[in-house]
Amino acid sequence: MRLAALMALAVTVLSMGAMLLQYRLVETRMMAAQRSLLTADLDGFAALYDQRRIIALRQAIDYRAAAETGEEMLLLMDRNGAVLAGTLPGWPKGLTPEGNGFAIDGAVEFQDGGARWLAVARELPGGFPLLVARSLHPVDDTLAALRRGMLGLLAAMLVAGGLVGWLAARSVMGRIGRINDLADRVAEGELEARLPGDRSDDEFGLLETHVHGMLDRIQNLNRATHRLSDTIAHELRTPLNRMLQKLGRIEGQEDVTADLKAEMRQAIRMFDSLLDISRAEADQGTGGGLVPVDLSAVALEVWELYEPLAEDKGLVTEAQVQPGLRVLGDRNLIAQMLSNLIDNAIKYCSAGDRLSLLLEDTGDRHLMRVADTGPGLPADIKGEAFERFVRAERDRGIKGHGLGLALVRAIAARHGARMTLPEADIGLVLEIHWPRLQQAE
Amino acid sequence: MGMEERILIVEDDADTAAAVRAEVEALGCSADHCDTLDAGIAAAISTPYKVIVLDRMLPGGDGVEAMARIRAGGSTALILILSALGRAANRVEGLEKGADDYLPKPFEPEELRARLRALLRRGTMQVLDNDLLAFGDLEIRMKARTVHVKRAHVAVSPKEFELIIYFARNAGQVVTRMQLLENVWNLHFDPGTNVVDVHVGRLRRKLEDAGSPAIQTARGEGYIFAPLGAAG
Repeated sequence: MRLAALMALAVTVLSMGAMLLQYRLVETRMMAAQRSLLTADLDGFAALYDQRRIIALRQAIDYRAAAETGEEMLLLMDRNGAVLAGTLPGWPKGLTPEGNGFAIDGAVEFQDGGARWLAVARELPGGFPLLVARSLHPVDDTLAALRRGMLGLLAAMLVAGGLVGWLAARSVMGRIGRINDLADRVAEGELEARLPGDRSDDEFGLLETHVHGMLDRIQNLNRATHRLSDTIAHELRTPLNRMLQKLGRIEGQEDVTADLKAEMRQAIRMFDSLLDISRAEADQGTGGGLVPVDLSAVALEVWELYEPLAEDKGLVTEAQVQPGLRVLGDRNLIAQMLSNLIDNAIKYCSAGDRLSLLLEDTGDRHLMRVADTGPGLPADIKGEAFERFVRAERDRGIKGHGLGLALVRAIAARHGARMTLPEADIGLVLEIHWPRLQQAE
Repeated sequence: MGMEERILIVEDDADTAAAVRAEVEALGCSADHCDTLDAGIAAAISTPYKVIVLDRMLPGGDGVEAMARIRAGGSTALILILSALGRAANRVEGLEKGADDYLPKPFEPEELRARLRALLRRGTMQVLDNDLLAFGDLEIRMKARTVHVKRAHVAVSPKEFELIIYFARNAGQVVTRMQLLENVWNLHFDPGTNVVDVHVGRLRRKLEDAGSPAIQTARGEGYIFAPLGAAG
């Protein structure tokens, strides 16, 4: 839009420049013409003056004045200021006679009767003031007409330029707007969005084709992620299943088989978490699969599930859950996330530590806070605690695979929730800011 | 189980199919096996099975998608999905699309047995018709949500009441931790910690304190609710 306006303006400025040049030329030429007319008059008067001095001059001026063309101003006076002949009743103000010859040099412009004049004022020998002037109004009229024409043209060009620019911009903007809308929809997770209709045979069509090519690629990658998780599940779980069935046939070594089963379960949990993380990341931003969920109810259920475990470990527990807070979500994912957080807290805390869950409406968001007074995040992993497989050196002895917090983050992102780690004097405090459910009714 | 029930196994992995068949026969039922989805659907429609054990990633398609066709064909069989697609999201999807149970692979034989038992029992026992469930001197009143042992009231939390109801429904049979988590808590992921044990332990102590050793541990498998002392 701005480009179109700029182009229209540039064309207008250039045209106006050309017209201005022409205007100057016309002005100069016309002034020269008036000047040469005046020169001719002066030459005529000079010849008469040479023959019979003032008498001849007076006769000639009388004769000329009688014609009353309005195009010329003539005046001859005597030394007492009385008019001898001419078109004026008296010497015009603001004009002083200079010199005494009939040469054009020293001609001045002055205003009289609302018009411009080119005048030569002299005082002939013996004290006879003489004024010979030519009206400049033909020049001024022409120039005025020219100016009016130019102004009209300027206005016409601005209007036409603006109109053409607006039309061009509207078509360009419309087509760019389509692509922008498409990009917005894709960014919001609608990977299958495409522009309807045929591609045009120009750069815009090419751009749309390229954008579509890019989107196809993204969508294929996303599909591949989804397919890969199913394939991994199938290809890994099927042999694991055979192993487990055969383990069941071993007799007499219950402890070893129980250990092996536990290890297998742990391995499955690990790749389930990995697949859950990549799936949640792939689905991030898409509303697909999310339904209204009572966040308060889920939080309480998971809390009640873990509370006895925490109590048995000697933790002091406290839950403050504001009822009825709803979000658009996946109940199972939310439960899994909270279960990870609380399970982690219980794992790292020791008897006497406090563990608390808070859920409250903070206006534009729902705040979920899980806080404990345990050892907190070690300094060496603080910045990357939510990355996959990041575990602190300190925790090597504790069972885990370093995916819990990564899954928590992925699930939060899947729900459009923001996760923060506020500074805490002691222990670990983790806050999740859930977007509220927009009430339809 | 008395009358011999027929169970259909739709499974393309021969080893798995054999393991399932072993469990089915151990329960005193007869098993038919199909290794493609189309054959499975045809069999399910033509024969009145009690339970169908259905795989997902089969030659011919996804078992979960085939459930509608099986139902449309007039089958009233209970469907247990047994699949490598075992993430929580897959399980929830399967249950939402009409599966009666969903067991991820790899599975432990005991887990499959417990679930098959629960399915076989379902529909044959009308235990919940009565307000009062009585197991000797242990009485559960559904409407009042109370538990009495030897006429003495045992205070249980709402969750513990749901727990004992689930146990009572499956009295005499092993129920696994995973079954409890799924049916009592409606959670379909493995929390990694045996968090269920703490709850069962609390309920069990309350009953024992009142004089009823109704809940027993089935080593390596889960728990068994046998208030009359007769383990099934």
